[in-house]
Amino acid sequence: DLDIDSINIGTPEEYSEQSTEPAGALWAKHEASTRTLSATLTEQLRLILAPTLATKLRGDFRTGKRLNIKRIIPYIASSYKRDKIWMRRSVPSKRSYQIMLALDDSKSMADSDEKDQNKVDLAFQTLALIAKSLSVLEAGDLCFLSFGQDANIAHPFGTPFTENAGANLFQSFSFQQDKTDIRRLVHKAIDLFRTARNNSHGATADLWQLMLIISDGVCEEHETITRLVRQAQDERIMIVFVIVDQLNSESKTQSIMDLQTAEFTADDTGEMKVTRKKYMDTFPFRWWLVVRDVSELPIVLSAALRQWFSEVVETGS
Amino acid sequence: MDKTAQIRIQLESRDPDVTIKLPENTGPILVSTGLRRIALSTLVNNLLENEKPIPFEFLINGQFLRTTIDEFLTANGISSEVTLSVEYVRALIPPSHVVSF
Ligand SMILES: [Mg+2]
Repeated sequence: DLDIDSINIGTPEEYSEQSTEPAGALWAKHEASTRTLSATLTEQLRLILAPTLATKLRGDFRTGKRLNIKRIIPYIASSYKRDKIWMRRSVPSKRSYQIMLALDDSKSMADSDEKDQNKVDLAFQTLALIAKSLSVLEAGDLCFLSFGQDANIAHPFGTPFTENAGANLFQSFSFQQDKTDIRRLVHKAIDLFRTARNNSHGATADLWQLMLIISDGVCEEHETITRLVRQAQDERIMIVFVIVDQLNSESKTQSIMDLQTAEFTADDTGEMKVTRKKYMDTFPFRWWLVVRDVSELPIVLSAALRQWFSEVVETGS
Repeated sequence: MDKTAQIRIQLESRDPDVTIKLPENTGPILVSTGLRRIALSTLVNNLLENEKPIPFEFLINGQFLRTTIDEFLTANGISSEVTLSVEYVRALIPPSHVVSF
């Protein structure tokens, strides 16, 4: 009395073939279902990005918007010959952004006995939403990863994100990977960001790197990951962890906020003691947010991105 | 599978005895897949806040757990990515067992 569905161990390719919806149709569906949200997010990000694109007023010009006070004395002293006393808003300095989006492709994302597609749909909608908004904004270079036991590039840095790219993107996901190796993911991401930084043109001081991880958030090796996250931070790579935490009242699914961990240690007498902790208390990422509904995404993501960009502006000269 | 592998388990009991019923809000718990019956029994007693531990046995998909969780998963082709339903029952005292007072 084996349940055939629960022992599906096919490769992603086989799984895609079994799937009734081809990647192109899936992309079109999720792109359409998030179109309004995408427009909202794009607009919010445009507002955030606009001031980061403009620079301060700079001198020295014969005409301009505001007087450069430092030039007044030399101007008078030179009998009004040194007349480049005006400042103008100069051509905006083009800061460059490299944004990586990593989506959890492990089985736990589709973990349910029933035909509950909610979490997968939510993940795909998030992907479509962010891909669309960021590519419309031309906010920078985009890269997409799928991860589980491995981390694979679904769309590389340095390639424009077209409509076709959207369909290709979905082909990289099957939600059948048997492990969720976040340590490996962060390790690979740091490598990819280093390469992308080396390949980027212009001053690397003006290059800003952001990684968004979308996952149900269940991972192992918290201590090792904490160290890697710190290393990423040292290399000025910011990682924001978006936890997809769809609550389903019909199934036993519960929020990650209630998840506990149990650890076992032997005391002095050799007796086994158990310690229970809240899972999120040791969560290795500094910036994380919980999303329960795709309609919350523009608000929570733009809040996260606004924070990131404002940090960029403050740090930038 | 490496030593750090973990799995979410949802403990439940069908025993009508309310004294071994877990608090209503007991959700999934993340544990090492290296655990065996004894450790799980310790965990249930911890959840029940029992001062005097009751020995428990565990059933997954109707089968008694006689190995580590990891070995059980491998033998039954279950992924550690799923939330595993684990039923606990009072361990029956074997007939040969001599209870000393
Ligand atoms: Mg997982």
